[in-house]
Amino acid sequence: MSVNQFQTQIVLSRPYLTREQIKTAQKNTIPDRRSYNQRRIMVFKFLCDMCTQFKFPRRTLETAMYFYQRYHIFNKFETEICYDVATSCLFLSCKQVETMKKITEICLESLRLRGMLKISPEALDNCKKRVIQLELRILETCCFDYRINQTIHIDEILCKFGKELLLSYDLCHLAWLVAFDALKLEVLLMVPQHTIALAALRIACELSPDVTWPNVRYQLFESDESSLNEVYFDLLNFYINVFELSDLKDNLPPGFETVGVESFIQLKKSAGRERGLKEPDNLASDAYITKERDFSIRERRYVLSRKRINEENLPVKPPPAKKEKT
Amino acid sequence: MASSSQFKQLEKLGNGTYATVYKGLNKTTGVYVALKEVKLDSEEGTPSTAIREISLMKELRHDNIVRLYDVIHTENKLTLVFEFMDNDLKKYMDSRTVGNAPQGLETNLVKYFEWQLLRGVAFCHENRILHRDLKPQNLLINNKGQLKLGDFGLARAYGIPVNTFSSEVVTLWYRAPDVLMGSRTYSTSIDIWSCGCILAEMITGKPLFPGSNDEEQLNMIFETMGTPTERTWPGVSTLPKYNAQFKQHLPKDLRAILQSQTQGTIDPVVMDLLYALLQLNPDSRITAGQALNHSWFAEYYQ
Repeated sequence: MSVNQFQTQIVLSRPYLTREQIKTAQKNTIPDRRSYNQRRIMVFKFLCDMCTQFKFPRRTLETAMYFYQRYHIFNKFETEICYDVATSCLFLSCKQVETMKKITEICLESLRLRGMLKISPEALDNCKKRVIQLELRILETCCFDYRINQTIHIDEILCKFGKELLLSYDLCHLAWLVAFDALKLEVLLMVPQHTIALAALRIACELSPDVTWPNVRYQLFESDESSLNEVYFDLLNFYINVFELSDLKDNLPPGFETVGVESFIQLKKSAGRERGLKEPDNLASDAYITKERDFSIRERRYVLSRKRINEENLPVKPPPAKKEKT
Repeated sequence: MASSSQFKQLEKLGNGTYATVYKGLNKTTGVYVALKEVKLDSEEGTPSTAIREISLMKELRHDNIVRLYDVIHTENKLTLVFEFMDNDLKKYMDSRTVGNAPQGLETNLVKYFEWQLLRGVAFCHENRILHRDLKPQNLLINNKGQLKLGDFGLARAYGIPVNTFSSEVVTLWYRAPDVLMGSRTYSTSIDIWSCGCILAEMITGKPLFPGSNDEEQLNMIFETMGTPTERTWPGVSTLPKYNAQFKQHLPKDLRAILQSQTQGTIDPVVMDLLYALLQLNPDSRITAGQALNHSWFAEYYQ
């Protein structure tokens, strides 16, 4: 990030961060971690209800959850506006994954689900205004980088991988349920969707009595061991800690009714030392993480390539001479 | 943009589907850019067209696709910073009109432009992206003779999941007959039809099928290419806007039609490619990859 005399700032998109990077950034934005976590579960439920109401596919929910969590890495968590943030995330997610809905419909449903019985035109207008204001902030938080939520979504790629690995329908169904719980976790901000799908399939395989996880090279699936382990252990820890609150618990498919906390404790024991993505050494000196985002800078530019930033650090060139048209 | 910007705003270049485009200068690098100022909708927020364009173009890096460099947020304005191109194919062809008579481009230039157009389209399709609005105005050219696809405001990713797409895409003159008849399951062939129309237009300097409404557009196409039947296009009668009462036409000699509008002799080889691009039945239309291997382009791949 660099600031020059034009009151302009150029930011390189970093769509995925490590666990420690997220924690460090959240020190600026989340004063009370417990309250944030509690709200996150409530917001997830709220978003699920919205998606059910509008019959949105899971990819809309997945993208909204990414946006919601990403937003809070760089913007203060405030309990008063977290449902507005969530509504805006869903509104944006609809545009992103092309499950279009008018803002009025989204806001009406959002207010209704929040218990507002009589929705006055003023209340609706205010909600719409807040959603639109927040939408731009969410886009900025993601650096207008749509590479991640564009074409690959966990549930869809999970089915494809399942077929490729010749796994049974029931097993893929179990993985699909595990992947639903993954949407509540910050792992969405750490690794790409297809890796989450692979990890869910691995867990489902290991929970199946007669199946062993095929000894596949993750590179063949455009993934790697560390990223996969990051999700794998995160999911195991989630089930070990709060299996009772998981969606898996209430939806265990036939043949897997005995799956419980013990099963995950067992998996973790067999998996050995917990491992995942390597944490970078420059955590303390990484301004992208440690410094609060300054949204007051007049011109904020977002790029995907470091080359663009490097080019601007080169000495100033005179403008090119005007040439004749073709 | 005021002086507090990284970019100096220069003359207005035109209005896009959802934005105004200006020429700009990067004050640090001295590089010209095109600044596309997005109008933020007070009702629906950031236009989904802008979101599509940003999401698709940031992914596409190819010599024949205009590069999107940055996205800038200033107060309540969103600006997309694109690679600058001097001209577009429409303006370029218009500039060659003699009196009121449009002129086709030289054969070599037609071939070079069509080759680049198909390369850009092939790259989009390989990346599972449909442009959906190919027309001369959206093909940007520079003084090196390079041609690049621009304006991805109507583009979309296709593939998983299979959705029905809107039929309100592609400027009428370049719209495929299956889309005109209400097909919502179109795919890459939608862009190929447009490439055929553009090729014919470059040869003669005149749009091939300049209809003013859906009905007239279809009739113009059928007048030249023949009215499709279940025999020539299995399934055509199931399309939502198919009409059994369509006026029946036999296919005409397209080469003779084009030849009457241009002075140079039209090569039979380019006609072979044109027919392959302008197949009424979308399943019979050639793909961009196949078109690039057509013998008309032999000099580029040999």
